[in-house]
Amino acid sequence: MSVPKLNVADVAGLARLSLTPDETTKFSSQLSQILAHMETLGQIGTGDVPEVVPPAQPALRKDIPTPSLTVEAALSNAPAQSNDLILVPKIVE
Amino acid sequence: MSSSGNWEAVIGLEVHVQLRTQTKMFCGCINQYGGAPNSQVCPVCLGMPGSLPAPNEEAIRRTILTGLMFGCRIANVARFDRKNYFYPDMPKNYQISQFDDPLCAGGAVGLDPFLFPKDLQETDEAKAKRSIRLTRIHLEEDVAKSFHYEERSGIDFNRAGTPLMEIVSEADLRTAGEAFAFLGSLRQVLLSGNVSDADMEKGQMRCDVNVSVRPVGQKEFGTKVELKNLNSISGVRRALVYEIARQIAAVEKGEAIQHETRRWDDEAGATFTMRTKEKAHDYRYFPEPDLLPVRTDQGLRAAAESGLPELPAALQDRLMRENGVTAYQASVLAADRILCTYYEKAALGTQHKAVVANWILNDFLATQPEPASSPVRPEFFGELADLVAGGTINSAQAKKVFAELMANPSSPKALVEKLGLAQISDASALGVYCDEAIAANPRSVEDYRAGKGNAINALKGFVMKKSQGKANPAQVDEILKAKLSA
Amino acid sequence: MSLAHETLASLRRRLVAKEIHPRDIIKDLLAQIDAREKTVHAFTHLDGQAALATAEKADLSLPLGGLPIALKDNLNALGDPCTCSSKILEGYRAPYDATAVARLRQAGALFLGRTNMDEFAMGSSTENSALGVTRNPWDSTRIPGGSSGGSAAAVAGRLAIAALGSDTGGSIRQPAALCGCVGLKPTYGRISRYGLVAFASSLDQIGPLTRTVEDSALLLSALAGHDPRDNTTDLRKPETFLAKPTGSVKGLRIGLPKEYFLPGMNAETEASIRSAASWFEKNGATLVEVSLPHTPAAIAVYYILATAEASANLARFDGVRYGRRAVDPKDLLDLYQRTRSEGFGPEVKRRIILGTFVLSQGYSDAFYRKAQKVRGLLRQDFESAFTKCDLLLTPTSPEPAFPLGERTQDPLKMYLADVFTISTNLAGNGAISLPCGFTKSNLPIGLQLIGPRFGEETMLGAAHAFEQAHDFWKRMPPV
Ligand SMILES: [Mg+2]
Ligand SMILES: [Zn+2]
Repeated sequence: MSVPKLNVADVAGLARLSLTPDETTKFSSQLSQILAHMETLGQIGTGDVPEVVPPAQPALRKDIPTPSLTVEAALSNAPAQSNDLILVPKIVE
Repeated sequence: MSSSGNWEAVIGLEVHVQLRTQTKMFCGCINQYGGAPNSQVCPVCLGMPGSLPAPNEEAIRRTILTGLMFGCRIANVARFDRKNYFYPDMPKNYQISQFDDPLCAGGAVGLDPFLFPKDLQETDEAKAKRSIRLTRIHLEEDVAKSFHYEERSGIDFNRAGTPLMEIVSEADLRTAGEAFAFLGSLRQVLLSGNVSDADMEKGQMRCDVNVSVRPVGQKEFGTKVELKNLNSISGVRRALVYEIARQIAAVEKGEAIQHETRRWDDEAGATFTMRTKEKAHDYRYFPEPDLLPVRTDQGLRAAAESGLPELPAALQDRLMRENGVTAYQASVLAADRILCTYYEKAALGTQHKAVVANWILNDFLATQPEPASSPVRPEFFGELADLVAGGTINSAQAKKVFAELMANPSSPKALVEKLGLAQISDASALGVYCDEAIAANPRSVEDYRAGKGNAINALKGFVMKKSQGKANPAQVDEILKAKLSA
Repeated sequence: MSLAHETLASLRRRLVAKEIHPRDIIKDLLAQIDAREKTVHAFTHLDGQAALATAEKADLSLPLGGLPIALKDNLNALGDPCTCSSKILEGYRAPYDATAVARLRQAGALFLGRTNMDEFAMGSSTENSALGVTRNPWDSTRIPGGSSGGSAAAVAGRLAIAALGSDTGGSIRQPAALCGCVGLKPTYGRISRYGLVAFASSLDQIGPLTRTVEDSALLLSALAGHDPRDNTTDLRKPETFLAKPTGSVKGLRIGLPKEYFLPGMNAETEASIRSAASWFEKNGATLVEVSLPHTPAAIAVYYILATAEASANLARFDGVRYGRRAVDPKDLLDLYQRTRSEGFGPEVKRRIILGTFVLSQGYSDAFYRKAQKVRGLLRQDFESAFTKCDLLLTPTSPEPAFPLGERTQDPLKMYLADVFTISTNLAGNGAISLPCGFTKSNLPIGLQLIGPRFGEETMLGAAHAFEQAHDFWKRMPPV
């Protein structure tokens, strides 16, 4: 496996980060170095290794209501609100 | 449905169905429509830092039940995955969904001929009883509801995190009518299992459509278009009729179909470009690390199995075979579980089950469309049918009793008495009436004896009039004949 | 002597005997903080008056009645800030209690101080904090380790009696080692993560930082047990860990993984660890060499999986429902991008980008899925090692505390600081770090004992025996 070409700006876009040109250059070189280190995994044979460990039976929640937050508490951290709705710039599809 | 015989449409549906549960998918907030904005939210469904999902057992059970009803394979071990994308209606900016190991895979939906649009029910496509394969059914969380203003949007998170089933069909559908019947048939089964109210108009069932066209006989699919904003089953049909015609017209003109998402405008009756798909989304699915895989083979599957209802197709069969109702009536009853339960209760105590079906489906529903809340006890219909069949009242009287039953519900027997309607079946009393009739109508007697069989009707009419309509007509007939031939 | 120098266990005895009142402890701690916090900067938030007020109402009949605990600033406590040492959580006040916090409250504990950390627990030096660096109480030119550097520095520096931290790849144990206190990372699933702001969900565990193993056991007893709000917590019934772990190491098989003793490792660290190993041998344990062959792959596996999970976990910080929001966003995309770019520091951005990349289309098989499989191998390594021994003994950190600023420009080198701790997070095992010596320049050295999954009992017993036979834990830092 060769070191993949990492387009930092593209990936940052997926993560909703906008980077300065400086950050882009710096992260590009740092991340390629890190990815080069990660490439070493390619040499480990994992043919029949299961990807996840066998599951335990998790405890599932019973369908019984529990109290919600008050509207006031729910909105107490909201940076912008009106009429008990949380406001954002207009969503356009 | 195609406007030209040389083209066929290829249609696949993705249907999102809100599950009926007490609480949300991953928290204990109530799952209920219509609360004040942001009054049914907690740290979990608001995606607060540090909160974690706790899966709702009942939602999982209902999804498995749905899978069982459609003949899906149920995964022994299912997993939840994160689907990553940013959107303000999604609190965590990832949706907990299922990707690699959904709860249900495969299965099929049989198209009920009577769930095609009325105008297509006599066509071959409706009678074909096709079966449409399902790809999968998985469980995920719903997003919040947004309201759009001039410059901003406001978000109410009450719906965020409510349990949602995604049912994905194979691209097996070929016509708009089939898509209509698919949604109706799907809904019928969902209702029978009581997993959802599945009302498209209320957003409890939401449908995205993928549609393309290709020359008949071609194997490859054409370029598909996704249709959004479909808010009713008939809307899906209209949108498809329009879109298929649009695509055929375009390719016949030599134009290429754009790979895009189009919005159905119900008022305009047309679809419009919403966005073109320049780049596929990269959802970066990966297993949800906050949740252990779900084992269904240690009780969950068995619990779902024990809740399996009689499926609509089997129910229709049984109603036709055992109760003698028509195929159409059976389909109507199977489509409405509440009505059907009411009917079955009504028919339970009588031999005359088909008669009861007629009463309920024709006369009763016209005045009382909500049988569940009707004050008319279902047993009354059986009683009424028995009164007619047993000769206590005749069918004309039965209509009077029925009207009274709707107005002042009480036992038909009591109503017959109250209205003074009981039929006179006492042979000696009827004999007196018959003697009077013979004495009063010598002409008719003569005619009858001369071989004019119809002449007896005048005598019968005389008896009915004398008895104020209470005489048992069958008995009167017998007595008159006996007396006249004596 | 100031009560700030005592342990939870000793304070508890004195409180119950009515020799002291909870307010006395808070007052002594506040005096210490007054004198030393300027230098150490262990806290991001302090409310002495509130702590004194709750001290008046303390219920001494409860197991932790009246005992003050400091909380890492990534644990939600109702009404308090929870910044994760990030600008993006400016102004946020927790609308709920983390389960760990609620359990301590129910056990009667008081809270004093929220401790500094690497932003969102991403780092090994507490230098990645938007709220200032924390300094090592043993040498203020050096880092305290991280990411729970504030908790470790507070406990070691006598600014707190005990603290909670979180450990994703060594974030409790490494700072404990570098500051000379006891740090316990329990088995994954032992303590509920509900209310701990997630870094990497499949690796994170909450755990105590204390001066003694006994205190560690005391807090573990209060914290452990299934929580219906955390699906990954273990279902076994709650255990009480001995308030005073039993002290013999006789008959224990102690495994020394050969991959943890490499040529060229820090000589003073190696000497200390070897001498700790001989102490165990002299006291009746047997030493066995074991192998954890996939150890060299652990860093790569860790940084793939941890960043992948983090890239999703940190997506919720978008300026919509809480925290910082960019001023006057021109549209939704601008709101997201500026909020996140202004709100996150460079290490967080770096890891989000890395994690987004390893999950992206075309790369997730080679990175994310491959790493999951190698993680399976690492787990198998531990399982087979524990057929040959009862505990593993290793250094906690390859070297003592390094100078501030030394590695901030070299993330890969910084990542290598976690080489001895991350495998246990990947395998899910519990591990404890405790002081086992000092360098010539008087910097603490930490010993790590790793147990089989849910083997805390044995681990705490052995650690306690070692601790009590030495006086490393009693030494006072100079700062
Ligand atoms: Mg979906
Ligand atoms: Zn909720």
